[in-house]
Amino acid sequence: MLQYVAQRLLQAIIAIFGVLTIVFVVMHLSGDPTLLLVPQDASAEMIAQLRSQLGFDRPIGVQYLDYLGGLAHLDFGDSIVQRVPALDIVLSRLPYTIQLAAGALVVAIGLGIPAGILMATNRGGMIARILSAVVVTGQSVPTFLSGILLIFIFGVTLRWLPTSGSGSLAAMIMPSIALGALSMSTFARMTRISIIDELGKDYVRAGRARGLSMAQVVVRHVLRNASIPVITIAALEIGNLLAGAVIIETVFAWPGIGQLAIQSIQSRDFLVVQVIVLLISFVYVLTSVLADLVYVAVDPRIRLVR
Amino acid sequence: MKAALALIAASALALVASAASAQTKDTLTIDLPNDAATLDPHLQWNTDSYSIYRNIFDNLITRDVSGTIVPQIATSWKYLDDTTIEFKIRDDVTFQDGSKLTAEDVAFSIKRIIDPALKSPQLSQFDQIKSAEVVDPVTVKVTTKSAYPALLAQLVKLSIVPKAYVEKVGNQEFNQKPMGSGPYKLTEWKKGIETDLEAYGSYWRGKPPFQKVVFRAVPDVSTRIADLKTGKADLIRDVPPDQAASIKDGDGTQLLSGATERVGYLYINAEAGPTKDVRVRQAIAYAIDKQGLVDALLEGYGAAVNVVGAEPVFGYTDKVAGYDYDPEKAKALLKEAGAEGAKLEFLTSPSYSRALVEAMQQMLNDVGFSVDIASSDQATFLKRRQGDAANAGSLAFGAWSCACQDADGIIFPLFRSGSIWAKYKNDKYDALVDEARSILDETKRKELYAQAYEILRQDVPGLGLYQSYALYGAAKHLKWEPTANEALFVMDMSWQQ
Amino acid sequence: MNGRIQAFRRRTARLPVSVIIFSTILALIVILAILAPYIAPFDPNKQALLARLKPPGFAYRGDTFWLGTDDLGRDLLTRTLYGAGVSLGVAVLSVVVSSLVGVSLGMLAGWFRGWTETIIMRIVDIVMSIPAILLAVLTVAVLGPGFLKLVLVLGLTRWPRYTRVAYAQTLQVANLPFIKASELSGAGAARILFHHILPNIAGPILVVATAEFGLMILMESGLSFLGLGIQPPSASWGSIMSIGRQYIERAWWIVLVPGACLFLLVFSVNVLGDWLRDQLDPRSRSR
Repeated sequence: MLQYVAQRLLQAIIAIFGVLTIVFVVMHLSGDPTLLLVPQDASAEMIAQLRSQLGFDRPIGVQYLDYLGGLAHLDFGDSIVQRVPALDIVLSRLPYTIQLAAGALVVAIGLGIPAGILMATNRGGMIARILSAVVVTGQSVPTFLSGILLIFIFGVTLRWLPTSGSGSLAAMIMPSIALGALSMSTFARMTRISIIDELGKDYVRAGRARGLSMAQVVVRHVLRNASIPVITIAALEIGNLLAGAVIIETVFAWPGIGQLAIQSIQSRDFLVVQVIVLLISFVYVLTSVLADLVYVAVDPRIRLVR
Repeated sequence: MKAALALIAASALALVASAASAQTKDTLTIDLPNDAATLDPHLQWNTDSYSIYRNIFDNLITRDVSGTIVPQIATSWKYLDDTTIEFKIRDDVTFQDGSKLTAEDVAFSIKRIIDPALKSPQLSQFDQIKSAEVVDPVTVKVTTKSAYPALLAQLVKLSIVPKAYVEKVGNQEFNQKPMGSGPYKLTEWKKGIETDLEAYGSYWRGKPPFQKVVFRAVPDVSTRIADLKTGKADLIRDVPPDQAASIKDGDGTQLLSGATERVGYLYINAEAGPTKDVRVRQAIAYAIDKQGLVDALLEGYGAAVNVVGAEPVFGYTDKVAGYDYDPEKAKALLKEAGAEGAKLEFLTSPSYSRALVEAMQQMLNDVGFSVDIASSDQATFLKRRQGDAANAGSLAFGAWSCACQDADGIIFPLFRSGSIWAKYKNDKYDALVDEARSILDETKRKELYAQAYEILRQDVPGLGLYQSYALYGAAKHLKWEPTANEALFVMDMSWQQ
Repeated sequence: MNGRIQAFRRRTARLPVSVIIFSTILALIVILAILAPYIAPFDPNKQALLARLKPPGFAYRGDTFWLGTDDLGRDLLTRTLYGAGVSLGVAVLSVVVSSLVGVSLGMLAGWFRGWTETIIMRIVDIVMSIPAILLAVLTVAVLGPGFLKLVLVLGLTRWPRYTRVAYAQTLQVANLPFIKASELSGAGAARILFHHILPNIAGPILVVATAEFGLMILMESGLSFLGLGIQPPSASWGSIMSIGRQYIERAWWIVLVPGACLFLLVFSVNVLGDWLRDQLDPRSRSR
């Protein structure tokens, strides 16, 4: 087992390196930020000179090694556009995305799980049908559209909530709903399936036979057992939320790393993009390793290698 | 669990929430598409950064409402000879920390921006300057490499930074905590979110009109408009013409508009592809209904032009006939050139009006071209457009302003061979614009530009479409007169009484 | 395998009403999309600059625009019909591409184990940790934009999801007795994979595919919003909505028409996908 863990970790490190390298190469293939930095009346010589000053005229291999060298001292470089350390920029915007993801999770879990429970216990009934419809709706609307509709209805027309910005709890409501709607469906369905699973098991029949009401059985036993797969899903959904945050952050002027990623890619601010990618791949690869370890521990058949 | 999460979220938000959540009349809020890249005036050249830092710093000279260059820090200037100019500066200007602004700071600012070690992207605008010397505390002598009439126009863009402060804190710190002599000083810069400024009481021009100014970064235009309508923002820029009516008629909002020096134009590749043939280019010129574009897509907020230039631009001439909308003539020319069905590639990116590009595509297809739109992101677009002629597409749309109100700033970079934008070569044209840029005599320059525009008319390496009207959305009680160079100087704004 | 299919046939005999309704809607959308060039009243690219942003029912010079016009005076009904084909085309093609690639790699990893498994699953890790948006922008930057490139981008970012499911399922199925029996009787890897393993893992894969289909449509509209999607003047529902966003007050039909269609399409696919999963997943059989 220990050997497996060590192997997995080594592979994880290689994977992260792989991501870094691929992104580095593809970004450099797509050009450099020089053209976007200079005023429009710059001459070809001036552009070449700036490009050289910024180091973009060196062969890509040299630039890559230079970058790795910096990484070795945990130096992630300075943003070409903002002239401040790339790591600082990303870290200053990260809390906003985390807040947004948390808000979206609150919406997704707070609405999704109760919906799932109701859909499972009320199976075939009217409530279940309506909830099903609502849940599928949440999954069928593009985020930029729900975002702009929410702003228009609740912000401009009703004036209940602020139209943009991140300065208050009220400002967090609409972006969290827009972002959480998609995940809500996943939680609802997952909860519904696990509960239905559990409801079919013997201990439920035993509990009912002993005189407990359905509600009591559900609350005392079913929910606890059904929560395991739901927790697994939560971990995966966080990845999806981070991806969806890109559009939401742009529409709502929410200053998280999603917005930063788009802007940095479009301005070819390589080093900021690299930090963001490094961060995301690190989180992702870590979850992947943990998931694999849990999987191997749980199902011994998997360990048998052909 | 829900409550715990909400509590964590709330306390985290409290840590980062802005203290000034109540916008009172003391504060002017402006929504911009992006936050400043840097607030150090010498480290970038983009509109959003400029809109903000230009209120923190003063420049040596500036332009007035009619576009004439007028004193700001400098009070007067005189040419000692063709390559030397002497500036006299004000005696009563202080930086926001109280220290006096002297010729030292001016010379330092000039030397700083041309220093290769700073890697300023603006270097190309000032590279004709050889040196700057202090003569006495109110006099600076600037030397250029050769006679350079555009010097003053370029110096309009140079901000004066405090020598002592910059040397003390270093470039990195100066970028985070800039300090200038302008009407507003920086109180807090929440990078990526907003920039908070506060009035500098001892500003030499007088009391700044608002106690506080907040610039917010809001990338999406629909959101900026929503902010304006709910009063979250008092001023927004670049209102799309289609939303102008709703802002004009809205409660509490007004539309401010003004003719600018910005010209919408169509670039036509004269060196490669089907457009190499001048008849094809002329056909393109006849095929575009400029007035139709202005009436329908700009909702009348614009004026069709005859050349790649507009009235506020020095060197503009109305004597050169433009190309009228004549689709029959276009078809005839195409036939003559044997280019019916010619495939043209129209380069564009999300930075340019998609509706205008598609409308022009349709107009060209109607006379017999076969136009494909190739949209990519801005960086890739620039790479193609500024690269080899063979890979630079056949057409591209742009809205050009040099913020200098001089034809040299428009038709020199766009069409002089050797420039990154020009896919065109005409020696006679080159000679004309080269000469116009190197002499000081205004009458002669105007004459040269008139001739240059005539050549552009014959060769059509580009087509002037319309003069752009800037559209701003503002709170109803904001008093402000937009200028032709689209500057956002808070000193010129105030609340209506 | 036969037992499963028989059970499936038994259950489909009693189709619930919602499934019938939504499969009809889905079929209708597909048929309209295919017939668009024949039934659409106008040329989708024909502009009428003097008839911009007009409401449904607007008549101009003898033509009636039944669902209104967009910001260049083009008929919205026509563009929505043509857009159906584009949106469906992008979604179907990208699901096909990503599932073909993803399932094959997943099966190979689950069957051969060892180095094959390690390399494939690590590549999955790598691809999944590159944000889709980054991949989209870079692909467009390097290869240029266009319909096929869009399919490529979407396919490139989504295949790992199929791989993970196919891999996990293959691991489980590979150890079943009848598979071992096939191996012992001399069947080659290809035969085992395609004839025995694939049909048995098809269920969960189908479920993923239907969920992905809806997601692909939404992602296409998101990419159009960012300017990376379908090239103008072609229309997809996503690009029409992305333009219509600005006109929500003045010309709400531009967002509403494709938005409603997109919603119906994704809704139908999701309902059918849910039902499909309930049928194929023995655990959720009703008591």
